[in-house]
Amino acid sequence: MTFDPAKILESKRALRRDLAARPIAEKLALLDALRERELAIRPASQSAKESSVLHEEPAPYRAGGKKTL
Amino acid sequence: MNIRDVIQTINQMQADGVIEHYAVGGAVGATFYLEPVATLDVDVFVSFKPEAGSVIVSPQRIYDYLTARGGTVQGEYIVISGWPVQFLPPASPLGEEALAQAVEKDVAGTSVRVFTAEHLAAVALQTGRAKDKARLLQFIEAGVLDPARFQAVLARHGLTAAWQRFEQQFLRDQP
Repeated sequence: MTFDPAKILESKRALRRDLAARPIAEKLALLDALRERELAIRPASQSAKESSVLHEEPAPYRAGGKKTL
Repeated sequence: MNIRDVIQTINQMQADGVIEHYAVGGAVGATFYLEPVATLDVDVFVSFKPEAGSVIVSPQRIYDYLTARGGTVQGEYIVISGWPVQFLPPASPLGEEALAQAVEKDVAGTSVRVFTAEHLAAVALQTGRAKDKARLLQFIEAGVLDPARFQAVLARHGLTAAWQRFEQQFLRDQP
């Protein structure tokens, strides 16, 4: 362990590289786990007043440079 | 909750002729090139087979197919194996090209079509939310973009000026 910021940043970059290089099946399993964790830490009040299934705000994919819903 | 089940369901739906082509985009698509980042839903871009006698593109056949197999509709999403999935027709020439040029990947024996890294990055630039910009930075930092191919996509779809602004904002004076 170190408190050297340069080493800390480099270790974070190394972790990201390691995660990116893992087999895709393993990365998709990580997505499953991340989503479950995300749902677990969301405030209960938020999920109660909204849909029973949490989802993100859809991306405003554009047609002809204009925003679409 | 298993995203591989989602992929297998979509493959089966394609094999059954409900959709013509599909490709995974968004954060799940980016995971094929980058480290996984938490996301709550799956974006699947599809080309629809037009219904007989109709010129209107409708996702109804997808909804009918999936709800008959246990999927549940939640607004614009269909929940498959615990994942909200959104089926999207390509809404721009960039989206159409991304769908047409998507590449086939293998997930432990299951094939899946995914946007190329260059198209995912270009779509992120075009969409332009904070998290899209963060994803674009991830692509750049990971070094997974083919620079010539990426610039060609940007030029074809009128995104060169947006890219220059992005560079100015985020990539100047990088250590």
